[in-house]
Amino acid sequence: MLRLPHFQVAAPETLEEVVEALRATPDARLIAGGTDILPNLKHKLEAPPRLVTLGRVKGLRGIRRDDAAGVLRIGAGVRLSTIASDPTVGALFPSLAKSAGLVASPTIRNMATIGGNVNLDVRCRYVNQSDFWREGIGGGCIKSEGDVCHVVPKGRNCVAAMSSDNVPVLISLDASLLLVGPSGEREVAMADYYRADGTNHTKAEPGELTAEVRIPLPKGPRQTDYVKWAVRKSIDFPLVSVALRVDLDGEGAEAKITDVRVVVGVLGAKPREVTKLDAAIGRTLADPEVAALVSEAAFKQCKPLPNVPYDPAYRRQMIRVYVRRALAAMA
Amino acid sequence: MSQAALLLTMTVNGDPVEVAAPPHWTLLEVLRYKLDLIGSKQGCDKGDCGACTVQLDGAPVLACLTLAIEAEGRDVRTVEGLSHGLGRTKVHPLLDAFDRYDAAQCGFCTPGILMAAEALIRERRAPVSRQEAAEALASNLCRCTGYTKILDAVVDASAVMTGGESPDENEEVRDAG
Amino acid sequence: MPGEDRERDWQIGKVHRKVDAMERMRGITRYTDDIKLPGMLHAKILRSPHAHARILSIDTSEAEAMPGVFGVVTGKDFTIPYGIIPWTPDENALAVEKVCYVGDGVACVAAVDEDTANAALRAIKVEYEVLKAFYDPEEALANRDKALTINPYARKGNLSKHVVLEFGDVDDVIDNSDLVVEGDYFFEGTTHGAIEPHCAVAQVEGNGILTVWSATQVSHYLHRELSKVLEIPPHRIRVIQPPLGGAFGGKSEPFDLEFCVAKLALKTGRPVKLLYTREEVFYSHRGRHPMKMKYRTGFTKDGKITGVAAKTILDGGAYSSFGLVTTYYSGQLLCAPYDFGAYRFESTRAYTNKPACGPKRGHGSVQPRFSIEIQLDKAAAALGIDPIELRRRNDLGSDTKTVNEFRVGSNGFVECLDKVETASRWRERRPTLPYGQGLGVAGSTYISGTNYPIYPNEMPQAAVQICLDRSGRARVFSGANDIGQGSNTMLAVIVSEELGIPLDDIRVLSADTDLCPVDLGAYSSRITLMVGNACLNAAQKLRRKVCEAVAKRWEIPRKRVVLAQRMALDRENPERNVPSAEAFQWAEADFGLLGEVGSYNTPKDRHGDYRGGTIGASPAYSFTAHLAEVEVDPETGLVEVKTIWVAHDCGKALSKRIVEGQIEGSTYMGFGEAIMEQHVVDPAHGGVHASPSLLDYRMPTFLDTPTIDAMIVEAADAQGPYGAKEAGEGPLHSSIPAIANAIYDAVGIRLDTLPFSPPKVLAALEERRRREEAGELAPHKADRRDARRSA
Repeated sequence: MLRLPHFQVAAPETLEEVVEALRATPDARLIAGGTDILPNLKHKLEAPPRLVTLGRVKGLRGIRRDDAAGVLRIGAGVRLSTIASDPTVGALFPSLAKSAGLVASPTIRNMATIGGNVNLDVRCRYVNQSDFWREGIGGGCIKSEGDVCHVVPKGRNCVAAMSSDNVPVLISLDASLLLVGPSGEREVAMADYYRADGTNHTKAEPGELTAEVRIPLPKGPRQTDYVKWAVRKSIDFPLVSVALRVDLDGEGAEAKITDVRVVVGVLGAKPREVTKLDAAIGRTLADPEVAALVSEAAFKQCKPLPNVPYDPAYRRQMIRVYVRRALAAMA
Repeated sequence: MSQAALLLTMTVNGDPVEVAAPPHWTLLEVLRYKLDLIGSKQGCDKGDCGACTVQLDGAPVLACLTLAIEAEGRDVRTVEGLSHGLGRTKVHPLLDAFDRYDAAQCGFCTPGILMAAEALIRERRAPVSRQEAAEALASNLCRCTGYTKILDAVVDASAVMTGGESPDENEEVRDAG
Repeated sequence: MPGEDRERDWQIGKVHRKVDAMERMRGITRYTDDIKLPGMLHAKILRSPHAHARILSIDTSEAEAMPGVFGVVTGKDFTIPYGIIPWTPDENALAVEKVCYVGDGVACVAAVDEDTANAALRAIKVEYEVLKAFYDPEEALANRDKALTINPYARKGNLSKHVVLEFGDVDDVIDNSDLVVEGDYFFEGTTHGAIEPHCAVAQVEGNGILTVWSATQVSHYLHRELSKVLEIPPHRIRVIQPPLGGAFGGKSEPFDLEFCVAKLALKTGRPVKLLYTREEVFYSHRGRHPMKMKYRTGFTKDGKITGVAAKTILDGGAYSSFGLVTTYYSGQLLCAPYDFGAYRFESTRAYTNKPACGPKRGHGSVQPRFSIEIQLDKAAAALGIDPIELRRRNDLGSDTKTVNEFRVGSNGFVECLDKVETASRWRERRPTLPYGQGLGVAGSTYISGTNYPIYPNEMPQAAVQICLDRSGRARVFSGANDIGQGSNTMLAVIVSEELGIPLDDIRVLSADTDLCPVDLGAYSSRITLMVGNACLNAAQKLRRKVCEAVAKRWEIPRKRVVLAQRMALDRENPERNVPSAEAFQWAEADFGLLGEVGSYNTPKDRHGDYRGGTIGASPAYSFTAHLAEVEVDPETGLVEVKTIWVAHDCGKALSKRIVEGQIEGSTYMGFGEAIMEQHVVDPAHGGVHASPSLLDYRMPTFLDTPTIDAMIVEAADAQGPYGAKEAGEGPLHSSIPAIANAIYDAVGIRLDTLPFSPPKVLAALEERRRREEAGELAPHKADRRDARRSA
């Protein structure tokens, strides 16, 4: 059996105790559902002296609509299967219900939490392997124990891929994270949370944890979608991952587009928001130009890398196809 | 090496259990190595095959990716538990359907599939379709059956378990005694 | 044939609960990894991170000194080479002088637990001199530098095996044909993916006998090789195969772990277990050989095959494994179900610095089947003949000989074609399916065991011993390995049929070299035919005794006694009956303890009298037809296989659902190879395995697998028990080319390399569009594009 390295565990029950546990052991790592960190530990990608499990922290549970603040609050400890089937999430944020329901496999969704998923470590074919395997490629890479990049020759920056299904969706919905740490709470927009550095791909400070995901309630009519392509219909991480959101000025076919958001994952360490989509504004969804120009912009701006399997040129082409189809389906 | 073992209390297949385990052990190791509940299998090491699927508070989870400490104070159910309380001769209707359809070939993935299928039928409380069953079992790899007979068996069992009749019309040679 | 005093088919062909499934489902069956022995140590193997290197030194002193470490072994402990084929012993339990692929075993540690063993592995220092590695078989073959010969025992550089056989004047026949189809094909390597990882446990008994429990499908061959390598006579070794969690050919020869646990148990005096990680399973491999194939096939204008010429390069990996046989099989198994008069194949197996290839379900013949069935589809298209009709016209027929002189008995191939044609509504649907949707057909054949054992001997190929108990029960002792395919149940069905007792009253004890007669193992689809015949032989002898004892007491002729329904009955007066137990007691009183042995050997007149003519010859051949329906997304290249209809001629289905399960599982496995599976190494990164996990080596899930409609065809064969032939491997073969041919029907592209991954499909679609636009090709299904899904 592939063994876990030795570590101690702490099982605090309140957020304060979690913060204290992280303060007491600075190299400790948080574990929620365990579906990301435990394979990584079995692969000896890290060797924390202590794991702090969030399983007993009641303060991280629950989905709550907060009309006063105009947000839906999802506790970091809410399981992805719960989000996928939650009626409130489904009604307000169908693209999130969809992306949560497409993560990995049903059993993993019963375990994995939204807090864990937004902090999912970035992935790369040269990283997510055993320590023995990494020795075989000459001693790992800049994200593991080595000092080279196998994806970008001579690259100094880790480009391991953001592979969360939910992160692009949450960014497209303008979600933010409530972070709790030694110096209190802070809220960070998810669009600003990720860094283009696979060795340290979030802006969480040492000792901080994600306590809540906050999603602004929709202010007007809109269409959203999430598109995932993977080789298999279950278990796999995405190879193409796109979140879309189109805001409209009214209901019905005549409604004009007021904003278009397209966020693409599985490129580098940071999801990419497609820009320069202004030409779509003022048009209707039925206007074929919308799908054409948005998909073309996504194609131009997104450049998949060989950090995950399957030809990057193909995956790039598929971004265009899937964006166009998703927009066409909204019309 | 010196790691103080954790003393864990949990309910396993209805029985209260106290067990000591090193902190880096998974629930799968506790079940297999400490409690000799060998029905939960280890196939892939890391959540890719589903052979270790057990139920934690009724929901299917991967025991190979569940730290032992996560089971503290909780209700763990393994494949052995499906046959508990049935007495010597009775067979769980899900196992009976798998048996009738020869849905277990090598049987190594079967315990995990049974635990995922049992949770599905219990949650739905109604006969399930092949598509629903396939979606619920999509964490579990089987290399022998091509999945066909497993789906036959789950659909059949869901009818029986929710008070209906088995649609199985095949002639089976019954025990003459 | 079975006598008339058997109530016909009270068990044969029915649905049965398997004799050992319920305890597996209850979770109480002990597979190898579930064995726990007092004082048991756990072993781990240190593996080479280099694809090709000379070992300069190994220092295990630090590991040996670690607390909790009880023993360390290296290649020096196993200098005798072994190999599953006696002519090619070219591997050592652990590397002796050099390592030949990433993952080759170098040292093994036994310790109190796995964590301690792993820590000890890290303390072993190995100095390597890294050598240039070869990942391409043709480059490996071209190498002339002796220092770079991959396999330390190779005699001809990196050439592992070369076979040329020619029947008739092939070139002349093909050159003079109305149509010549030429094609280059590539079959990618794939692996077995049994969900149970390999595991072995060894213990030295008080009397010094070494017992090895192993998740193997060939306990007898393992027994022999352990004896050879450990230099312990066979009678001092006992091999037990516990219930097995799938194999598919991946456990059909000895592996490093069995030798290591045995040696370490001998060394430490304690039981030792070794369980592979999933990653190690990928390194042990022995899966499907990648094959590069060049085919030239001649046809008459009526679609009759005139001749076939094949040239094949097999990428063997670091060791021979079954490679000698694979090389023959790549040509020898192609000569049915079609009749043709001239044939030549030239197959060359190369050593490369990769995990060794070997036998995966459909050993050696799945790859050439892929090529020939696409060749036939191309001919059908060129000649304007319906692909099913073209296959019918080439049917070999029954009671005949193939071009390579194999004697074929029963043949239900045409009925297989008829069944899939009808079930799929091929005739109505194929001409009307729109662009993007298609139907494709393919056919195949497979052996029911090979005519000769792996090591030459004149003893039976299979043997079974049966004892009847005065309580009315039967015990069946068989060396055959039940690997999940249901062979224990097959034996119980035969005993039940013959002796009239239900399956519940029959205990099958299998695959224990101390308790059971020798059987050669679960490979080449031999068990139903060979072990079934041996079992039938023994059961019939017992039935005669029981019937005679009953007949004597009832004063009727023996033939009037029927054994069925746990009773002995008078055929003419069924009211007159006794329970089986009483009948057995009467027989025991008359004959003494009721035990019989049965054995089976193959007929020796089933093959040609030329060198290699015995390899691939079988007592009986199964036949299969697959018909696949696909939908191809022309914009993404995604192929959705919606339904596969498969009809398989297994001679006689002894147990209906078990046979269906074999057909379904085989078809699924072929589907996976067609669409997604690839077992490859990464030459740009030191030859590491590209996907050594069940996450990255993608096997189809519940949601990916098409609807499989399995149909049984029964062309009873005189060689098989009750007419039975194989069902476990044949129904994989044509699954793959049927999908390829359906893709052609859907969108007009030929995919001659595997797998049919979306980028590859899309590139072929784009190439076709380019040629259509350039006027080189007419648009495919030009009149049926309206229904195309909106792009």
